[in-house]
Amino acid sequence: MRLKIILASAVLGLISVLCAAANSPRSDGPTTPVAQSSAQADAMRMEGEKRFRANCGRCHAAPQKFPPRMMATIVRHMRVRATITDEDMRLVLYYMTQ
Amino acid sequence: MESRAEFQGAFQRPPGGGPFGGPVSKNLDYLQMDYIANPYLTVTVGRFLTPFGIFNERLYPIWIRSLQQDPLILPLSAESSDGMMLRGGFPVNAKANLNYAVYGSAVSTGHSNLGSDRNVGGRMGVFLPGPRVEVGASWQKLLQNGRTNAFGFYSTWQSQRVPLNMHSEYARSNQGSGYWVDGAYRLSQAPFWQRSMRRLEVAGRAEQFFSGQISSDAARAFGLPGANTREGEFGLNYYLHDGLKAVTSYGRQFSSDGNANLWSVGIAYRFALPLGGVGQQ
Repeated sequence: MRLKIILASAVLGLISVLCAAANSPRSDGPTTPVAQSSAQADAMRMEGEKRFRANCGRCHAAPQKFPPRMMATIVRHMRVRATITDEDMRLVLYYMTQ
Repeated sequence: MESRAEFQGAFQRPPGGGPFGGPVSKNLDYLQMDYIANPYLTVTVGRFLTPFGIFNERLYPIWIRSLQQDPLILPLSAESSDGMMLRGGFPVNAKANLNYAVYGSAVSTGHSNLGSDRNVGGRMGVFLPGPRVEVGASWQKLLQNGRTNAFGFYSTWQSQRVPLNMHSEYARSNQGSGYWVDGAYRLSQAPFWQRSMRRLEVAGRAEQFFSGQISSDAARAFGLPGANTREGEFGLNYYLHDGLKAVTSYGRQFSSDGNANLWSVGIAYRFALPLGGVGQQ
């Protein structure tokens, strides 16, 4: 019984903390960031490649190129599977589609 | 929503001769619905891969794993669970990301391909993007039968200087304990036959299993070795392209139940078929 109470409290506490922490940025799906200049676009591509190698490259090579909407679905799936961060996901998606 | 199902066939010629035949097993690994509530939290309901250690969730697919044999300790925790899971990953600071998963599972005995135990558990890991190191720990509490605990630790490392990936895992429960360490090295830096060598990967794994508090027959029923076991495995993989690879491996298993050679030869092919519109974003 005590274990159940502890577990229920832990889960509720975790949800509360995460909901509170998430007040500011809301994630409505993997939208590709928009670059303001070509220099910024290059920098975002490089950063995206770096994040890809650090997160995704630990398990597998880069897949073939897919249309952006399909790639967004794949990246959303992998975000959940590999628990990568929101920022990493967006930059990886930029690298994979731009 | 996402899903994965497996069909596995084992065909052999009967001892007295005749046509090849054998059973085909079917299994639903996961059928889950994910709701990305915010950047820190994803809520998953349905049948999902149990987040215990790293092999089951991340390294299991045949197009990802570098050696085709499962680690000996894989059955120490439930491979799939039916219930609800909260998970996510977020940066703690510029140098570290935290990832977590907590879940509760209901018992399911109605269909052998959809079975699950009543349990709760979780996993937490810290990933350092700089050195590309991740370490983490898992825990699972069975809420039926012996109400036993299982726990484990894992680590991964990807070298930035050479194309080398290392993974390791340790797990312990009343059914036994053990560890595995594996590594995969792409020969892309070899100074000769560059065109072919960059597609070649050398992989190896060392692992050990120690029997637990259950009988040998019960251990085998769980898919575990029936006695203390050591195993070494060596493999060569050739990537024809990113979605197609030829795999070979040889392993030697040492056990008081008898030693054995483990050979694997195969082709792993990965493809994606769009089931809906794939227009421009």
